[in-house]
Amino acid sequence: MPSKYIVGRVGMFFLTIFLASTLVFFLPRLSGRDPFREKLFEEAQRGGYLEDVDEIAAALNERYGFDRPLWQQYVSYLGEIARFDLGTSQFTFSKSNNQLLAETLGWTIGLTFISAMVAFFIGTGMGAIMEWRRQNTGLLAAMAPFLMMSAVPYFIFGLVLLTVFWFSWLQAFDWELFPPYGAYDPTVEEWPDWSDFRFLGSAVWHATLPALSIVLVSLGGWAMGMRGMMVTTKGEDYMLQAEAKGLPDNVRFYRYAIRNSLLPQLTGLALQIGLIVSGVVLVEIVFTYPGVGGLLVQSIRNSDYPLIQGIVFVLAFCTAVTTLLLDMIYPLIDPRISYSGN
Amino acid sequence: MEQAQTSASVASMDWWRTLPDRSDFVRDRAVPIFRYLRRNRLMIIGLGAFAALGLFVGISYLFYSQVDLLGEEQGVNGLVRAASVQANQRPSWNPWSGFPLGTDVQGRDIYAAVVVGIPLSLRIGVIAAAIGVGVGMVLAFVAAYVGGVIDAVIRTIVDSLIPIPGLLVLVLVATSLNPGQGLTVDQLAFVIAVLAWPGPARVIRSQVLVIRERGYVEMARMSGTSALGIIFKEMMPNLAPYALASFVAATSGSILASIGVESLGLGPLDSPTLGSMIYWNIFTSSVLLGLWYWLLPPIIVLIVLFVGLFMISAGLDEVANPRLRRRV
Repeated sequence: MPSKYIVGRVGMFFLTIFLASTLVFFLPRLSGRDPFREKLFEEAQRGGYLEDVDEIAAALNERYGFDRPLWQQYVSYLGEIARFDLGTSQFTFSKSNNQLLAETLGWTIGLTFISAMVAFFIGTGMGAIMEWRRQNTGLLAAMAPFLMMSAVPYFIFGLVLLTVFWFSWLQAFDWELFPPYGAYDPTVEEWPDWSDFRFLGSAVWHATLPALSIVLVSLGGWAMGMRGMMVTTKGEDYMLQAEAKGLPDNVRFYRYAIRNSLLPQLTGLALQIGLIVSGVVLVEIVFTYPGVGGLLVQSIRNSDYPLIQGIVFVLAFCTAVTTLLLDMIYPLIDPRISYSGN
Repeated sequence: MEQAQTSASVASMDWWRTLPDRSDFVRDRAVPIFRYLRRNRLMIIGLGAFAALGLFVGISYLFYSQVDLLGEEQGVNGLVRAASVQANQRPSWNPWSGFPLGTDVQGRDIYAAVVVGIPLSLRIGVIAAAIGVGVGMVLAFVAAYVGGVIDAVIRTIVDSLIPIPGLLVLVLVATSLNPGQGLTVDQLAFVIAVLAWPGPARVIRSQVLVIRERGYVEMARMSGTSALGIIFKEMMPNLAPYALASFVAATSGSILASIGVESLGLGPLDSPTLGSMIYWNIFTSSVLLGLWYWLLPPIIVLIVLFVGLFMISAGLDEVANPRLRRRV
């Protein structure tokens, strides 16, 4: 019965989290670099003053616990991760990693969730209609450009959108159709206030181009997947029987064809989440969106290992949770599947 | 009359049939493949896109030259120099100034940078994909053949790696290896290869499981062929379309990953790969500065590259799944 499946799936989830946190811990430490020392040297060279760098670096490393043996660091790191304590950034002194991520993660999750859902539902619907109204070749022709686009990375397409809808528009009409960067108009409010309609509107307006660059690219893939499944479903005996019973077209479409074709699409969504998150991070950089992407670039430029680790871990955690949830609602959507453990 | 014409055109298309010393390989393998290709439109378009890029690069290498800093006319080497050296020139776009696509903020010749960048980016993709498919294939055969615990372990690791956003792991690897001024092109390829194997391993493993039960494999086993003999003589040839399809997919994925890693500023910043061109574009917010002519060339080339690879892999899918062939 499902309980065994759930236990197995949750076990898999914890394995993923464990693997992710272990990778996140060991990969940066393989290099043997000392970011504090490097940064101090950089600063000292800029100022032409090279004294005490080693002592300061050693003191800082001691304070951060980087001088302890690796296994001690690892054990205490695992304990911190279990309590969702992501440590302290090396170069953003006043704030902890948790604070930095709390400020940015909401924007990323919102952008990812909304655009992934919009793309999934529109794409799936388009694919279903495309196969159901097969005689309508115009639909297929309309899909062709979306299929082409599905091969292009999100952020490359985002750059195209930025050139077309911001730059060209501005040149042609002397008017900004969409804002080219940021997540909200800084003149509206100091800090996000979602009950303010002006703020809400400007947030939606600013998110349009980033979201479009994700949605337009992903549509084709979902449509093709759904179309393939609809081909199989249409050939099933129960579809023939439904037609023989004289069920109306829309009942056969919604209750018979779509419901039975939807499942592999959900599997696809679960497999794609990681790719979508990677893509969104890059889109945020293109549009200077205040999400995790910008924070990541900043931490990479500073070689801020604790912050990079925190960001990677949090994003891996979010994708793993989403995949887990999708796999969990699977049996609810399709009661045919009995997870008997095999 | 009409019949004569078609036979004449067939004869002219089949000119290679008249070659005196055509080997068995040509007759049994190359000819059917060539004939099949003529029907597979997606593959033709994809290969055509690649051929166009190849011609662009090749012709440019042969005929494009640039006057370098010392005032000397330079050919191929000058192209590399022009693409990587600061020419101390303002960003500008004037096709008649001697720089057909203009110059970027560092004064580099954009045309030269694109011509040099295409092979570099492809090189990253191909090296990473070759390593990924190689490792994935070995793991797939081990998993599917040995089975039991080893299969379970390999499968679990592959499955649990899939929800982790690959780009971010690559970011970790690249930052940790980053020796200050960026990785070299080949180092980046090896970094990308770190995560290029789970996909191919998954696809090929399931195919090995299917093919292992086929009649001809059973036959070979009964006639006493060794395990390695079965793998290399019986199964490999039949896996070829799948392996090729996952190689193309892995190449596309690796180029995507490399562009992503490079756009975050972790790539070879001194080599003019397409990805580092994108990085410098984002870094200097070129669109906001109105330098669209710097951004568009790498973008267009990348779109042609990705769409071409997508078409080829869709075409190979058709080869691998004969069920799809009838629909087209």
